[in-house]
Amino acid sequence: MRVSICHCQACQRRTGSVFGVAARYLREKVTIEGEASEYVRIGDEGNEIRFRFCPHCGSTVCWEMPAFNDGIAVAIGAFADPGYTPVPSRSIYDASRRHAWVEITVPVERRG
Amino acid sequence: MTRIAACDCGKLRVSCEGEPVRVSVCHCLECQKRTGSVFGVSARYPKEKVRAEGPSRQYTRIADSGFKVTFDFCPNCGTTVHWRLDQFPDVTAVAVGAFADRDFPAPKHSVSERRKHEWVAVAGASVQHKD
Repeated sequence: MRVSICHCQACQRRTGSVFGVAARYLREKVTIEGEASEYVRIGDEGNEIRFRFCPHCGSTVCWEMPAFNDGIAVAIGAFADPGYTPVPSRSIYDASRRHAWVEITVPVERRG
Repeated sequence: MTRIAACDCGKLRVSCEGEPVRVSVCHCLECQKRTGSVFGVSARYPKEKVRAEGPSRQYTRIADSGFKVTFDFCPNCGTTVHWRLDQFPDVTAVAVGAFADRDFPAPKHSVSERRKHEWVAVAGASVQHKD
């Protein structure tokens, strides 16, 4: 499992926050229940990313993309559990898109 | 200056005239769930300065304050772009991420910090931090 921050413009828009945070799990470790709408967008590398969001409240809870192979990304905010605050190891689009007031206070691999 | 906030697929768009009256970060668990990120960021505008176009679906919940909050999200991509707070009927809140602009005015308030994830901080000498 890996936890990544992404500051790209699509993650900004999707979340309405200024970055997204994804925890990647192996597919067989994730069970999805309840209603979901699907939204597909083409990522920067030309891959389809398939997001699942709740049609009642709009929250995107998880998504799949070819680059994850057999993994599913889960929005870490969706856990909303003060006892589970996994620390990210990567910060993507950090140099180009991160809002200057966002301070990542742990060592992370920074890209782009 | 007019800025446009839009959902990820671009169908729901909100134009905001002038400068926001308040920009704030909220770390509460409801904002974490709504965004999927570890906090929400909102820009409040006088409601008459905000014009929404495109399809939206509404979701209402009761805030910690006891007042209703009604969110508008795009039914196609799920992005919540703007919302209204019964507690502050003269303003419309807009999701700062929906502007996708790193030069958008920085927040001056960071609230519900008791729920803040430890690995992130809201920087800025003039930011007011509240638990």
